[in-house]
Amino acid sequence: MTAAKPPPYSPQPFLTPGSEELNGNGQARFADRKEAFWSGFRHAAGAPAMVLFAGMLGFGAMAKTNQIDLWFTSLSSLLMFALPGQVVLLEMAITGSSVLAITLAVTLTSTRFITMTIALFPQLHPRDRNRNLYASVHLLAMTAWAVSMREFQAIESQHRLHYYLGLGLLCWAICFPATIMGYLLAGFVPKWITLGLVFINPLFFLLTFTEVKLAINRLAIILGGILGPCFYLLDRDSSLLITGVVAGTVAYLIDRQFLRHRFKDQSP
Amino acid sequence: MNTALQGWGIWLALAGACIGTYLCRAIGVLLSGKINQESEIFQWISAITYAMVAALTVRMIILPLGLLATVPVYLRIGLCLLSFAVMISKPQRRLVPALLTGTLLLMTYGLIV
Repeated sequence: MTAAKPPPYSPQPFLTPGSEELNGNGQARFADRKEAFWSGFRHAAGAPAMVLFAGMLGFGAMAKTNQIDLWFTSLSSLLMFALPGQVVLLEMAITGSSVLAITLAVTLTSTRFITMTIALFPQLHPRDRNRNLYASVHLLAMTAWAVSMREFQAIESQHRLHYYLGLGLLCWAICFPATIMGYLLAGFVPKWITLGLVFINPLFFLLTFTEVKLAINRLAIILGGILGPCFYLLDRDSSLLITGVVAGTVAYLIDRQFLRHRFKDQSP
Repeated sequence: MNTALQGWGIWLALAGACIGTYLCRAIGVLLSGKINQESEIFQWISAITYAMVAALTVRMIILPLGLLATVPVYLRIGLCLLSFAVMISKPQRRLVPALLTGTLLLMTYGLIV
């Protein structure tokens, strides 16, 4: 493909995900798209699959202990594929909220997908940014997103989509059986194992934050982590959106005013 | 308190939740088509996303729903800090050992208590 092309020179004052400085060693990481796909698939088979599997097992068990229908539970994993939203759906269904209230609350917790997609997909090769993305985007969840944001920096843009597809497909595919398994096993699994299953999810996201390189995004993570619980105590449903906009904007402004210039001075 | 949604209501709620979630993903694709990754708005939106994801993560640890809430908060935070230390203890990050440290220690706690 374009592997033999010399790395294009780009006089960027700061690093952005996919900066040429990060992948400009002139050698492509993958020979073709097929290799990129299977590499993503293999990467998913480690920690990401473990985390999702555990999370969905826990979700299935939670549904069973509340006498919720098996198909309702497993279809939500297949069609929603967003664990925090699924937990909100389950809780509100158990406590008997109205259909409209449930729809609104779940949609509000899912608003993060809007910005997650906007942060990820512009890094794809222009040729891949077409209507097929409306299907591919269903595979996007926090796990695949966190791994892609990290790995895309070291992958040439023409191979990124297939890496993401391999990663997302495995993550998505295991969730349906994992939910059913959790549902059927509930009651047989002792409490201490369930405790591990529910803890591994937030721990994984916390640990992936150490891989975030840009100062602006690190700042956003710290501010979001501090403000998040505060806004949550004020209003549960809208807290994610408000925290994101407030903390993200403050981080952006601080970066623009102070950090970016310092970076420019330090790296010629 | 058996006020759970009955009959068709629960399926309507599922349909609404699925549609709402997919709609957010689709809006993301629609808007991402107009955005260049070198632009200022891309950087701003990335920062917002990281802040949202961080807020969700911290909330799941500090203010969890269900079983995790039975574990004292200082223990949850302590185990996170310990896993974090394992993760950054080597230049090439050790994700799986760090994950196992936190998870297995919490399971040990659950076994003892």
